[in-house]
Amino acid sequence: MSFLFRCENIGKTYGGVVALKDVSLNLESGQVHGLIGPNGAGKSTFIDVVSGRTPGLGRVFFEDREITGISPSAMRRAGISRSFQRTSIFPALTVRDQIELANHGTGGGNTGELVEMLGLGAVLDTEAEEISYGQQRLVDLALALVGDPRVLLLDEPAAGLSVQESAVLSGHLEEIAERWNVAVLLVEHDMDVIFRVCKVLTVLASGRFLVQGTSADIRNNPVVIEAYFGSTA
Amino acid sequence: MANQTLAHSFRESPILRPSGLIVLAILTATVVILTATGSRITLSLLAQATIISIMALSVGFLARTADLISFGHAAPFGLGAYGTALVFQHGIPAEVGIWLVLVAVFALFFVIGLVVGKLNGIAFSMLTLALGQFFFVAVSKLRAITAGADGMTVSLPRSLFGLPSRTFQTPDGMFIIAAVILAALVILIYLFEASRTGRLAIGVRENEERVLFLGYRTKILKAAVFATSATIAGVSGVLFALYQGFVSPEIMHWSFSGNALIMAILGGSLAVWGPVAGALVFFFLREWLSDLTEHWLAVLGVILITVTVAWPGGMTGLAKAMRTRISGRERNGGGK
Repeated sequence: MSFLFRCENIGKTYGGVVALKDVSLNLESGQVHGLIGPNGAGKSTFIDVVSGRTPGLGRVFFEDREITGISPSAMRRAGISRSFQRTSIFPALTVRDQIELANHGTGGGNTGELVEMLGLGAVLDTEAEEISYGQQRLVDLALALVGDPRVLLLDEPAAGLSVQESAVLSGHLEEIAERWNVAVLLVEHDMDVIFRVCKVLTVLASGRFLVQGTSADIRNNPVVIEAYFGSTA
Repeated sequence: MANQTLAHSFRESPILRPSGLIVLAILTATVVILTATGSRITLSLLAQATIISIMALSVGFLARTADLISFGHAAPFGLGAYGTALVFQHGIPAEVGIWLVLVAVFALFFVIGLVVGKLNGIAFSMLTLALGQFFFVAVSKLRAITAGADGMTVSLPRSLFGLPSRTFQTPDGMFIIAAVILAALVILIYLFEASRTGRLAIGVRENEERVLFLGYRTKILKAAVFATSATIAGVSGVLFALYQGFVSPEIMHWSFSGNALIMAILGGSLAVWGPVAGALVFFFLREWLSDLTEHWLAVLGVILITVTVAWPGGMTGLAKAMRTRISGRERNGGGK
């Protein structure tokens, strides 16, 4: 089977410390793939390496073409987008300005539909620093989605959101993957979000691949439970 | 369709709103009245202050657009001034020569910007300080070209840009010319900020990494902003040379860069006009204090520290605070 986005043997060391070693995973169009693990497992490092934010080891393929080491801007123009663990928007610009900026940078696309789907119409002409945190996270997501990306790498998009906001976000993620046929890699600590939207999960622990399977498999896997809680008892 | 919904235009620029046009009209009237009624000394001070305002505008533009603090803008100022002197000395057609000087300043600082643009914060400031001092020493040492510490006389041709040269060396003439150029530059900066490129520059200032991940390359834009800022300083230098008729290495000393920076900080960077207001206040405060006491520098220092501590956003910060207070009062009044 040919996957849209393949990551092979991704690794990263900081000095002598191994943060990530030989982690491989593949993404399919229309599917949300969860990447979970305890703190320090290497989830964000994985996204940083494959997206070109930080140099690392391993190889990355998009549509069977190797894209290892290309610049972040080239990666985005190729159709691979990402979000960040911390809200990464432009506080002094209006929501409209920053979406328009993203639209131009990525070659244009679905802005009107996106604004409607994320419910940002009412704050379009408000500077981003003036809107609520939940709305800022949606602007962050919008910036990642403008330009019809084929692959979306999301680093804790639900961080800091209320239960209600997380539920709304989950709905958006399902819609993005299924309706827009996007391959999504989701790093998230909120297990309600993970189990609701992810069909496949990869679990990391201490920078190493631990196990991969469906949500149902992972939920009751004793190896995963031990990795999270230190004991299956 | 969606793009149309999100599109914006220059019309959103504050300078093209009715309030902006009214301010422009008031300032134009002020320049006309001052030119008609001001004494020769007053007009001479105004001409100098307006030229220095352009220098402060250049430093403020860089701070506002790229969040970069330059300690070396005396270099492009001096290159503009020395370039003008050399153009006249070597008999190069004056108008073409002056444009070439400005293009050369842009090109040189664009290349420098490609290197220093990788730095931020104090590292950028220190590197610009070193670069500024390099140009200062170069101008001081290259006696064969610049006459070193003796300085150069700027011999203007009979006419320049269709005006008699005398216009550029009389207080009223230079005040009007400098005021027109200053107004044009302020309007251009407002329009730039309202353009897509201007908003992209603000995006880079706020979150460069995100801009990269939106598919842009930022290196050239940052270098262009740096070069544009340097060219504005170069324009100020050209006017300085035309008005003073003499240039010497002192104008490229780091302390001149420091003064321009103080003016920009005093004015603040929350609005384009901030550095201009800061320069005018600084210039006239300095003149007034130096008449009062020989220890004017100490008094000026205390005033500047007090103002900066009281209003960290400078004069633009004060204006914003007052506007917020007034609009809050109006809202409260309306609610009764």
